[in-house]
Amino acid sequence: MNNMNSTGNMNGMNDRSRMLRRIDAVDFAIDEMTLYLDTHPSDSRALKTLEQYRKRRAELIGEYESRFGPYILTSNDVTGSRWSWVDNPWPWDYQGN
Amino acid sequence: MWQYEKKLQYPIKIKNPNPKYAKIIISQYGGPDGELGASMRYLSQRYSMPYPELKGILTDIGTEELAHFEMIAAMVHQLTRNMSYEEIVKSGFDTYFVDHTAGVWPMAASAQPWTANYIGVKGDLLADLHEDMSAEQKARVTYDNLLRLIDDPDIRDPLKFLREREIVHYQRFGEGLDLATSKLNSKNYYAFNPSFDKQR
Repeated sequence: MNNMNSTGNMNGMNDRSRMLRRIDAVDFAIDEMTLYLDTHPSDSRALKTLEQYRKRRAELIGEYESRFGPYILTSNDVTGSRWSWVDNPWPWDYQGN
Repeated sequence: MWQYEKKLQYPIKIKNPNPKYAKIIISQYGGPDGELGASMRYLSQRYSMPYPELKGILTDIGTEELAHFEMIAAMVHQLTRNMSYEEIVKSGFDTYFVDHTAGVWPMAASAQPWTANYIGVKGDLLADLHEDMSAEQKARVTYDNLLRLIDDPDIRDPLKFLREREIVHYQRFGEGLDLATSKLNSKNYYAFNPSFDKQR
C-alpha cells in the first residue's frame, strides 16, 4: 500500500488506512463505470456519474496528501531525492494491506 | 500499454498461513479457468475483433484479470509464509515445495502447468464472445468450489469479491454479444465472419 513505511501513532495509522480504503472504493466505482461505458459509450448519464467519481477521487486524494504526504500509485508519482518506488511493502505483502 | 499501480485491486490480509489452502487456490493462478488464462484469452482475442466497443471491453477486462492474477498470487504467497518442515509435509505442500520452495508458479491444483491450451482464440466474433461468457461461468464455479472448501474469513472475503467480478464480466460479455448481433443480419448471423471477412 502507499506510504506504509511512515511512522505515526495508532490513531494516525487507522485514519490513514481508512482514507486509503475510501480511495480504493472510488477507484473501484471508476473501474466498474469504465467497463459499463465500453459497451454503452453514448450513455451520457453514466459519463456524468464517472465525472462525479473522478471529482470525488481527487478530493479524497487531496485530503490524504494534506495529512500523509504524496499518494504514490505509479512510478510517475515519485519525486524527491531518492527512488522510494522500490520501498516495502509491496502490494502482495501481508504488511502492504 | 503498461502502467503498474502499486496496490491490489482489493486488499488481501491473511493472518493465518495455510499451505493446504494454497494448494487449491493456486488453480485460480495457473489453472484451466484461472485468472492468467482469462487475461491471456481476452488480451489475445481483441486483435481480431471488428468493433471498437469489443476491443475496449476485451482490453479492459483482460487487464483487470491481470490484477486478479496478482491477487491470487498474493493469497498463495501469504498462505505459505513461515512454514515449518512439519507443516509442509502435513499439508501435502511438500510435492510443490520440492520444485518451487515458496515461489508462486502458474499451475492448476492438479499440478498441470499453465498452458495456452486453456484458452480459445478462434478469430471469429461469435465463437470468441461465447468462449468468453463460458470462461466467466467456469471461473465463477471454481470460486464457488473454493468457497465450499475454505472457512477462513480472511480468505473468503477476497474470494467472494473475485467471484462477483466474474459475474459482472459475464454480464459485460453478454452485452458485447448483443451489440455484435445487432450489427449482423438477423436472418443469418453466420453469413460471414466479421472478424475476418469484409462487410457485405
